[in-house]
Amino acid sequence: MNELKGLARAAQIYLDPQQRARELKAEGKKIAGYLCCYPPVEIMTALGYVPIRILGDMNEPITEADAYLPTVMCAFYRSILDVAMKGRYDFLDAFIGAHACDGAERVSYIWRSYLKSPCSFYLDVPHSNHAAAIDFFKVQLNYLKDELEKTSGCNFSQEALREAVKLYNKQRSLVRSLYKLNRQDPPLVSGSEMLQVMVSIMCIPAEEGNSLLEEVIEEVSNRSAGPGQKKGRILIWGSLIDNIAMTKLIEDCGLNIVIDDTAIGTRSFWVDVDETSDPFEGLAVRYLDKIVCPRTFRDTKGTRSEDLDNRFKYLKIMAKEWNVNGVYFNIIRNCDIHGYEIPEVRDYFEDIGIPVLVIEQDYSTTALEPLRTRFQAFAENIG
Amino acid sequence: MEQKKKKTSSAKTLQTAREAGNFGKRILASARLAAEEGKPVAWSMVDWWLGGTIAKAIGIELCYPENYGAFCAAVRKAEPFLDYAENDGVPNTTCGYARNGIGYTRRLKENNFIIPEDAPGGGMPKPLFLLGCGAVCDARYKWFQSMGRYMDVPVWTLEFPQTGVAEFFMPGYKEENIKFMVRELRSFVEFLEKLTGRKMDWDNLSERLDTTFKTHELAHKVDLLRKSVPSPAVNTDFWAIMIPHLYLPDDKEALAFYQRVYEEVKYKVDNKIGAIPNEKYRMAFAELPPWHTLGIFDEFAAKHGIAFAIESWNYHAPSPLPESEREGVNDPLELIARYSFHKFNEYTPTAQLNCMDPTIFTAPYLKWVEDYRIDGLFCHPLLSCRPATYTLMHLRNLLMEKCKVPSVVVEGDIVDLRVFNEEEAHVKIEAFIETMDHYREIRKKEGFEW
Ligand code: SF4
Ligand code: SF4
Repeated sequence: MNELKGLARAAQIYLDPQQRARELKAEGKKIAGYLCCYPPVEIMTALGYVPIRILGDMNEPITEADAYLPTVMCAFYRSILDVAMKGRYDFLDAFIGAHACDGAERVSYIWRSYLKSPCSFYLDVPHSNHAAAIDFFKVQLNYLKDELEKTSGCNFSQEALREAVKLYNKQRSLVRSLYKLNRQDPPLVSGSEMLQVMVSIMCIPAEEGNSLLEEVIEEVSNRSAGPGQKKGRILIWGSLIDNIAMTKLIEDCGLNIVIDDTAIGTRSFWVDVDETSDPFEGLAVRYLDKIVCPRTFRDTKGTRSEDLDNRFKYLKIMAKEWNVNGVYFNIIRNCDIHGYEIPEVRDYFEDIGIPVLVIEQDYSTTALEPLRTRFQAFAENIG
Repeated sequence: MEQKKKKTSSAKTLQTAREAGNFGKRILASARLAAEEGKPVAWSMVDWWLGGTIAKAIGIELCYPENYGAFCAAVRKAEPFLDYAENDGVPNTTCGYARNGIGYTRRLKENNFIIPEDAPGGGMPKPLFLLGCGAVCDARYKWFQSMGRYMDVPVWTLEFPQTGVAEFFMPGYKEENIKFMVRELRSFVEFLEKLTGRKMDWDNLSERLDTTFKTHELAHKVDLLRKSVPSPAVNTDFWAIMIPHLYLPDDKEALAFYQRVYEEVKYKVDNKIGAIPNEKYRMAFAELPPWHTLGIFDEFAAKHGIAFAIESWNYHAPSPLPESEREGVNDPLELIARYSFHKFNEYTPTAQLNCMDPTIFTAPYLKWVEDYRIDGLFCHPLLSCRPATYTLMHLRNLLMEKCKVPSVVVEGDIVDLRVFNEEEAHVKIEAFIETMDHYREIRKKEGFEW
């Protein structure tokens, strides 16, 4: 079964992202599930845990979660609790919740009230990148380490953590290399293929993920038939996408997804951890300051336009380097973090002449079809 | 046929509650006056006394867009602002107060920062800066950041750590939280000094803090008195009298006002005078009220004898800071940090006892239902305030499982009156009476105290 390689292997893992973790568990490994991009996978790995990103399921109607969460919350996090209540993550040895946004925070709490695992930790992530916040976050990471160590069956060592930092930095650099292949026109990797790879590497051990990435890079670098040229080259910004039903719909409408700034995409991989003498220092800075997500407040800088550059310049750079001619704002309904940001990011792109399509979607494959005409119109518009 | 005009506001049962509205008006008027005199004014989120007192001690007048949102809703003038914010791309699912504030700010900008003549309550003047806060909800800082867009003024976000229950009890954890908050407050003072060119008046700050503690102690004592049967004051009283303790606790007038509230409530308790004529059921209310239709609670009282004995955890003053936490603390910033942290975590032992998370919005009710002899919980899930809604289902489950207290769910909104169905609320409450009777019996059989 594991003879599949590269994109085919990614497609296989994507179909049942937790399968590899369940296999490893059967072999005696410990599995840690975590929410969002803020709990450092390096710490889990250094303590012998296999970290896996907890995902929702756009195909699964939300039924169980209704008894625990109101319908007015982000459907991605509702879906996460729903599939968890249905037993999908029952095999976890550790659950790491995080205060990424209100949704993530409250679901972390409610998850812990009903679903018990041998180890459980709620990681408080400060709201800003202030110096005191980074120091506080570093302390939090040490508590996370202490808590995981209690059940890991192995002792923590700085050396193992340094190794883990190297391992994941390598993964990040491979991810960046893969995305770079999409700078050309037509791009070499479709948005759906990219998403399958991203989901896969978040759900298997880092070494396996790195091999998978190397295979994919080699495969697509030599391919003759990639996604082909479509009407527009777009960047996706906003709430995460973890299901290819969404990317396929966009691509079917005549758009190449060449780059993204979303949480199951570049946002989780774009920047490295500095190899500092105290590895917790590098981790705290990377996760709290260097990851650029609108959930982290950055102090107002100078004039309004200087401030906007301080917050969003990386998007301008991405748009230029990947030569995009349109941006899709993917907003999962009730996602406040991205919701409040819409007018500013929209104006920021439109000021540099890049049109924007904003869609609030319901994180459900059955609710996608009505969006088709809007993507088609956007493709016509920018094509 | 004669049409009976529906009353939207509540008559309130306390005399002091009827007078409390003046504080809200005073906040706005003082801010406008300060602006006219060229003094610095800032817009602030409710931050549980973390930064507001500090800003005032350096001489900044504050007004509160959140309270302004509730005010616009209460006078039913929020809709145009909501529309105006949505019209600029802000999703209609975001916080109603936020959309009200964003819509207002957009209009203010278009009017060259001259307050529009028709602004409800006289309006808020342009601020020197915006004071956001990390407590409770993302809106509290993301909303303010997005408002900066219309005004080109800096935004400061006060950090507020959000702890898990098990983590709270980890060795050293709490002190690390306090240390972090204190450092953040110090940076805030630096920010203020740089922005205003003034020096912090530490004596003024200590004095304000002292007044705050006194005002809050009285507010807390009023809460304790409300445990009495019959209930001496109800939810609609509380939502009026909370304005001074939430926004102006460091103000001498607020302190004097609370002395009067306390005396009024104490008199009613001593003489067994109930807030409502014929109290039959005692309910709790979670969490934010339908500001536009508060009169409905008077109707529930008249029709069914329902007294809302306790409500809205987040708006209540905490119990006084324990002596052990104050001992040897001379830095007012540390006192502030400890006090605010105490507000959010004083019910953590209750949460631990019940093996549940989170403390905020949830654990206090587990204690309250017993302390206030509650027959049922009125859950008010809000269309646009998710943070106060997220845990309501969870809370219902917990109250039923641990305390055999049932709940009724009536959906609505703080600002948007279009989503609140009064008739439906009445029908649901009518049916709920029987449920409360039923669970009274069950609690009796199972040996609960109430
Ligand atoms: S989509 Fe928004 S609300 Fe949902 S997890 Fe992401 S940031 Fe949070
Ligand atoms: S708690 Fe709710 S109503 Fe208050 S600012 Fe936050 S989202 Fe808005």
